[in-house]
Amino acid sequence: MFRYVAALFMVAGLLTGCGERKPVLHVYNWADYMKPSLVRQFEEEFNCRVVIDTFDSNEAMYARLRAGASGYDVIFPSTYMVQIMQEQGMLQPLNPDLIPNTAHLDPAYQEMAADADCTHAVPYMISNAGLAYRADSVEDVKPSWAMLDRTDLRGRMTMLDDMRETIGAALKYLGYSLNTRNVEELEEARDVVIRWKRNLAKFENEQYKNGIASGEFLLVHGYNGDIMQVMEENEHVVYIVPEEGVSIALDEMVIPVDARQVELAHAFINFLHRPEVAAENTEYVFFLCPNAAAYELIDDELLNDPSINLEPEILARSEVIEDLGEDNRLYTAVWDEIKAAR
Amino acid sequence: MHLRKPSITEWLITLPSLIWLFILFLIPTLIVFAIAFKPPDPWGGIGSGWTLDTLRSLANPNYPPIVYRTIGLSIGTTVICLSLALPTGYAIARAPAKWRRILLLLIVIPFWTSFLIRIFAWKVLLHPDGHLKQFLVFLRLADEQSMLLYRPEAVLLVMVYTLLPFAVLPLYAASEKFDFRLLEAARDLGATPWRAFREVFIPGVRRGLLTAVLMVFIPALGSYIIPDLVGGPRSEMVGNKIAQRTFVDRNLPHASALSAGLTLAVMAPMLVVLMLQGRRRDALET
Repeated sequence: MFRYVAALFMVAGLLTGCGERKPVLHVYNWADYMKPSLVRQFEEEFNCRVVIDTFDSNEAMYARLRAGASGYDVIFPSTYMVQIMQEQGMLQPLNPDLIPNTAHLDPAYQEMAADADCTHAVPYMISNAGLAYRADSVEDVKPSWAMLDRTDLRGRMTMLDDMRETIGAALKYLGYSLNTRNVEELEEARDVVIRWKRNLAKFENEQYKNGIASGEFLLVHGYNGDIMQVMEENEHVVYIVPEEGVSIALDEMVIPVDARQVELAHAFINFLHRPEVAAENTEYVFFLCPNAAAYELIDDELLNDPSINLEPEILARSEVIEDLGEDNRLYTAVWDEIKAAR
Repeated sequence: MHLRKPSITEWLITLPSLIWLFILFLIPTLIVFAIAFKPPDPWGGIGSGWTLDTLRSLANPNYPPIVYRTIGLSIGTTVICLSLALPTGYAIARAPAKWRRILLLLIVIPFWTSFLIRIFAWKVLLHPDGHLKQFLVFLRLADEQSMLLYRPEAVLLVMVYTLLPFAVLPLYAASEKFDFRLLEAARDLGATPWRAFREVFIPGVRRGLLTAVLMVFIPALGSYIIPDLVGGPRSEMVGNKIAQRTFVDRNLPHASALSAGLTLAVMAPMLVVLMLQGRRRDALET
């Protein structure tokens, strides 16, 4: 099926290419995650066409690749999914000579990446999951996960319907690692989430954005870039980074083993880490590209926004969610108990 | 009455739908059943070999509340839908022909709007700062803190709203064929209107009732999107658990085992109905 589509694209390329066949780069990325004019710029500079296909969760992307989808040249999975794909032999090694711009990577974030030496993955954007509240209705706000214990907000708060994020928030609140495999720590976190759950309207991954914008929810657990997009339109919404630490997600760029345009794929990764390109992209999507040379070019207000660029002491307490393989079951079991609890 | 042997033409006419059902329903269902007996691998795939572990893990003590809630909400939806649809079907069937068409149209019109948009409309209606809430507060039926959304009652309300037309239509169809002179006869023989409705009309539209039960109960059991959107942390149904097993836990065998259980649960009421109808046919033949 996908080969079929790819073939169709090639035919289309032949028909429109005026006799000259431009190479086509197939990109598989999250929606609204790249400034469109930068893609145009790349196409002109490298005399190629870029076809972007989007996914809404790592799992959906992974399931589609496992089901036989092929023909992608660059994919943007999160760290834990990079680990899984690497273990499954789905990624090809990167050629460091073709991506010299990795020299600009911010070492503070590079340590968190799936692969600190960029042998098969290069970080693209950083996000974190914190809290957002309605400044017009909520008083005495503390930058802490303890806000979820506020009974005066009962029924007007949401947490992510995501076991790793939500149990992770409780683990951080208790001062533990959000990648813990310690059953006792997980049980403690379970009891905290069950306590919070009594105050929640629901567990929610998408509608919290509309909910906080419309005032239906007064405090929500969500991702910084998503909230900042809401804040652009609604002045009452404020994002806070809980001081106990947060989960950091790192989306990375990888080249799958069956990529056709391997050189062009390297060029694309390198292009996105040109300092001026990375800066422009960050200012558009409100997520931080961990490119130290780009920081100087980003608007100061945005760069110093503590919700985009975490303060050093909070960053030190924050972690990237890792895939735990077999031990994911520990989280599933706790999550089931949380969901079942009254 | 003897069943004629179906002719070749009849077979040929039925063949496309049989092939359709075979490829798009029977085979996928069997695959789901088969996957339930496979071990999962930690990367979201399906391992090799066969195992009964997944079936054993269904004994998870967290499941019974979800199963009871699913069955309870489905039965509640069915009972409310039927008790609303029965008088509605009766009234439409007795209405003058001109009105009948308009009433039927009114029942069908909501389908012109996307199902999802109608659920979101409920979220607006039940918004904590919405007019309905303010009205209830004004009537002292609710206070500022009470929530209309994100509770099992909200799920029940929206399920009844969504599935009601599926109960009204078969009941209307059955009422339309009902010979209303029988009600007059019952009255002539001294029955009260309520007794005539209960003992003559309801048995008379029995087939319509059975169809309505199936049309409401089965989709209610498999609900996923309604509890997901208007349900709260205490409104999870089996459908939501299947979604979690598939997307979050990356455990396809477990999701398959739950789906298989749901399929069997859906088949049970259908078998009961088939048996009831079969017994009636036997009774007619003898």
